[in-house]
Amino acid sequence: MLLTSSKDLKDKGLDVVLDFFRKKSLWMLHYCTGCGAIELPPTMTSRWDMERFGMGPMATPRQADLLLITGYLSVKSLKRVIYTYEQMPEPKWLIAFGSCPINGGIYYDSYSVINRLAEYLPVDLSIEGCMPRPEAIIDGFTKLMKSIDKGEAVGYKRYRENYEWYKKNQAEVLERTSPVLKEEVADETK
Amino acid sequence: MKQNEIISKIIERFPSAVILITDDKQFSITVDENDAVTAVAYMQMLDFKQLAIITAVDWIEKGKFEIVYNLFSYEHLQQVFVKTLIDRKNPKIQSISNLWEVAGMYERDVHEFFGVEFVGNNDLRPLILHNWQDKPPMRKDFDSEAYSNKVFGNFKKEKAL
Amino acid sequence: MNEILTFLGMEDQYKKYELFFGPNHPGMHGNFSYIMTVEGHNIVRIDPDPGLLHRGFEKLVENRLWMQNISLIPRICVIEPDINEAIYSIAVEKLMGIEAPERAQYIRTIVLEMARISSFLMGFGGIGGSTGLYTAPYWTLADRDYFLDLFEWLTGARVYHMYILPGGVRRELPSGWLEKLNETMDYIQKRLFEYDKLIYNNPLIVKRLKGLGKIEKDEAIKYGITGPNLRATGVKYDTRKAVPYAAYDKLEFEIPIQEDGDGLARAIQRREEFQISIDLIRQAVKMMPKEGPVRVRMPNPLKFAVPKGDVYVKVESARGEHGYYIVSDGGRNPYRMAVRGGSYTAGLVYAQKALKGMRIEDVALWMATMDICPPDFDR
Repeated sequence: MLLTSSKDLKDKGLDVVLDFFRKKSLWMLHYCTGCGAIELPPTMTSRWDMERFGMGPMATPRQADLLLITGYLSVKSLKRVIYTYEQMPEPKWLIAFGSCPINGGIYYDSYSVINRLAEYLPVDLSIEGCMPRPEAIIDGFTKLMKSIDKGEAVGYKRYRENYEWYKKNQAEVLERTSPVLKEEVADETK
Repeated sequence: MKQNEIISKIIERFPSAVILITDDKQFSITVDENDAVTAVAYMQMLDFKQLAIITAVDWIEKGKFEIVYNLFSYEHLQQVFVKTLIDRKNPKIQSISNLWEVAGMYERDVHEFFGVEFVGNNDLRPLILHNWQDKPPMRKDFDSEAYSNKVFGNFKKEKAL
Repeated sequence: MNEILTFLGMEDQYKKYELFFGPNHPGMHGNFSYIMTVEGHNIVRIDPDPGLLHRGFEKLVENRLWMQNISLIPRICVIEPDINEAIYSIAVEKLMGIEAPERAQYIRTIVLEMARISSFLMGFGGIGGSTGLYTAPYWTLADRDYFLDLFEWLTGARVYHMYILPGGVRRELPSGWLEKLNETMDYIQKRLFEYDKLIYNNPLIVKRLKGLGKIEKDEAIKYGITGPNLRATGVKYDTRKAVPYAAYDKLEFEIPIQEDGDGLARAIQRREEFQISIDLIRQAVKMMPKEGPVRVRMPNPLKFAVPKGDVYVKVESARGEHGYYIVSDGGRNPYRMAVRGGSYTAGLVYAQKALKGMRIEDVALWMATMDICPPDFDR
């Protein structure tokens, strides 16, 4: 499994070897962005131990590999999450937690919550539930490790290649300059 | 003091107030727009020292905003609402941030979500929303679902990457 | 003030600088941000920047029916969600003029006290973690899982229960649940003495907490501080005795107070209230009627309308007084709902006064002793 063939190494480069080691030591950023973060401490502590997979919390984005968006994102919070994602060095991965980043969830008609995270940042894995149980979280992490091994989790390359598309979507939400809903000319004309 | 003693003192001082009793620990007073701040200061003098919340209700059919001051007293164990109606097209009322310092933060909240101007409070910066360009969102003629479909609803039309 | 200033720092324009104690910080409880202006490592001015968790609850409830809001309401506070359901259900019952049966009142009391204990456990973990003692959050978060398992057996979900409805509770207790609850109470009672040895008899934590953020009695009332923070300054007031709800008027308990008003008194106050919650649960289990209905028969949930009126209901949560002001105009949807969170005034207004002159490293510890939870004021 480690050394597949010399043809593989020539085609894909040293990444084949490095990905085997990277997947066993993912450090996640210690940033709780929404209400799904309440099920992370039981996952990290001794009942459903996450450290046996090599994962642990890390304080700064400059030294972390994994960013977890736990739950919904308000517009103010999206601006800071984008700064954090762009500060992390490559290779990096992003996991969307809960039903809210998939299609808006229970806040689908709110004026302050975004509906689909994949338009603003590249998502590698989604875990559904409201909120997901610790067993579901660990199942999601093992799926991510398998897809890193195969070389399919390359969200960071997609972000680099389609940079203008992502920036256009972000500017539509964050940098408005005029009202969205037009005023109807109502009683004044009566 | 019991509830009926407090009520009789209020009626003595503000004869035109309308009193409505919810149960034996809660009642509400509706006064004129010019008497609102004096009524709140009078209640503070009667030992109602905790300001729980300042909020507003949008009665769009009548064309008025209703400002509600919610006060509580630790000695008499009574909860009172001081209510007043102001005009919806040009909402303005005197600020009470010299009586309680926390009132400044509640007034900033109501200004951001309803558009009411509090005369005398010079710190009415936006508190919770980010770069908001439309009309104040808690008014009844603002449609939240239409706003959400226009700004965040592109994924229903085109496929994401 | 500061002896260690370089010669550049002596000039006025370089003395002060702005620092973000921002959302991405391991010492911050929740998603919230303070913008601090510091001089050396003393704080000169502080400005809160809320709104990172804003969802617009007060607008969302106006578009849904009265019963559909039950699934939306517990998400206002994630650590202790049952108080939100209790406030909403009691308000609807008061407007409609009905009352829940007696067995349901006792079950509501047990569920609310269990939620209060799990919130206190998280608070102890916060005090320990902010000083660097990481054993404390590991122990308390593991003990909190015993309560989440009991909730899952009773209601079907670990975190958001949707169990307390207008008219009573959703279903009857399963058989064997009360015995498991008694076993858990015995276990938690033994663990409480181990927390004493770990946190309260620890000379390092006592030295850090003594004298931290002292509050006077009349200052606390003027700034609207409620809950265990108010009782730690000497005011003997508890919402469960003054304006009783659920079955609290039939249970007997004393209100503990402390005199000092600083960080150590607030921590000890929470420890004493923890003991009182355990006693209340044991009393309620003994005094509960053995049989009876758990819900009054309610009209069709897709069609019923609540009569006109307005009401303000408040309960005693672990952070203070949590209350809603609900207005109904006789329709099938609520007309207006205003949320008054338990830590609104302490986190936004009182912090600007109390944190002036403190050191940067004490901000996280101050927030843990006052138990500030950002979803309360962001809604």
